[in-house]
Amino acid sequence: MTWTDIVFERLKANALEMVCHVPDSVIAPLITRVEADPFFTVVPLTREEEGVGILTGAYLGGRQGCLMMQVSGLGNSVNGLASLAIPYQIPFLILISQRGELGEFNPAQIAMGKAARPLLDSLGIQHFTLRRMDEVAALTDGAIKTAYTARLVSLWP
Amino acid sequence: MGRERQAIKRSGSINRLEATRHLVNRAPQALIIAGPGNAKFDLADTGDRPQHFYLWNSLGLAPSVGLGLALAQPKQQVIVLDGDGGTLMNPGALVTIARLAPLNLLHIVWDNGQYQLTGGQPTATATVTDLPAMGRGAGLQLVATVTTMNEFEIGLETWLTESGPWLVVAKIDASPAPARPPKDPVWIKLRFMQAVNKSN
Repeated sequence: MTWTDIVFERLKANALEMVCHVPDSVIAPLITRVEADPFFTVVPLTREEEGVGILTGAYLGGRQGCLMMQVSGLGNSVNGLASLAIPYQIPFLILISQRGELGEFNPAQIAMGKAARPLLDSLGIQHFTLRRMDEVAALTDGAIKTAYTARLVSLWP
Repeated sequence: MGRERQAIKRSGSINRLEATRHLVNRAPQALIIAGPGNAKFDLADTGDRPQHFYLWNSLGLAPSVGLGLALAQPKQQVIVLDGDGGTLMNPGALVTIARLAPLNLLHIVWDNGQYQLTGGQPTATATVTDLPAMGRGAGLQLVATVTTMNEFEIGLETWLTESGPWLVVAKIDASPAPARPPKDPVWIKLRFMQAVNKSN
């Protein structure tokens, strides 16, 4: 099993049925998996902040979901998170693929990649990083459960 | 050359509050998402109700919230009330609505060509930008433009009965919107979610 298989299963087991995304090479296999399964409603976005609005509407209508994106998308989503998801207490999981860390080749990825976790901290959004295969299932389950008590949680494959 | 050649176009004669009142009367069961600015103020002026969801900030996200709700509740009529400023902030919402194409979504843009709440600075629709054309370009098949209250009333009967998603650009005047909706976001949300549950 890959981390993708495990996260896919945990999303399904926890009924996070609406998946909003802007594709990224790291999460691409996961997007392919959810698109192939009619359990999921998959919403391709033009910009990540749209997903904050869409998942808010879905939650108002009784559906849970996940926002998948590269870390750049966190920058594009900040006011949506700060002005909608946080004050209205709208829970969902955010799955963020990391750029801008050790070995990054693209100078335009560095600043956002480094700012992301402090930014989440300043917004009060918890984040958990998937580093080892044997932790993926438990961390994903835990992040989802915490998202629905704390309202928002991000997970980093 | 440039902006001095871009004449300010006249906005329409529709009064936003009057049109909002008519809409609420004609679609009393609809779930209504109101964008920040005067759309939500005039919705509140029609009489605050549980099936109103007011965005107090998040310019641009009202149609996105409406899309998510329409997908989650496909049997309920979902109406989005937004302005030209909000539409221009997040034109990608038109793209994503066209792509997902929920049948139960009516998206109304009150267009007066200005950021009315901040002093009436012109938006791009006052001069060069054509919102209905943007909607069609995004892939929306059902796009209407109305400039008078009579056209709005006639059109509404179609938009409420024929499957969407509809994009309606209503050219409005610049009347102010003095009413204010409740301000507690969590209370607005919980009350709205109860209304959704009751409607099922």
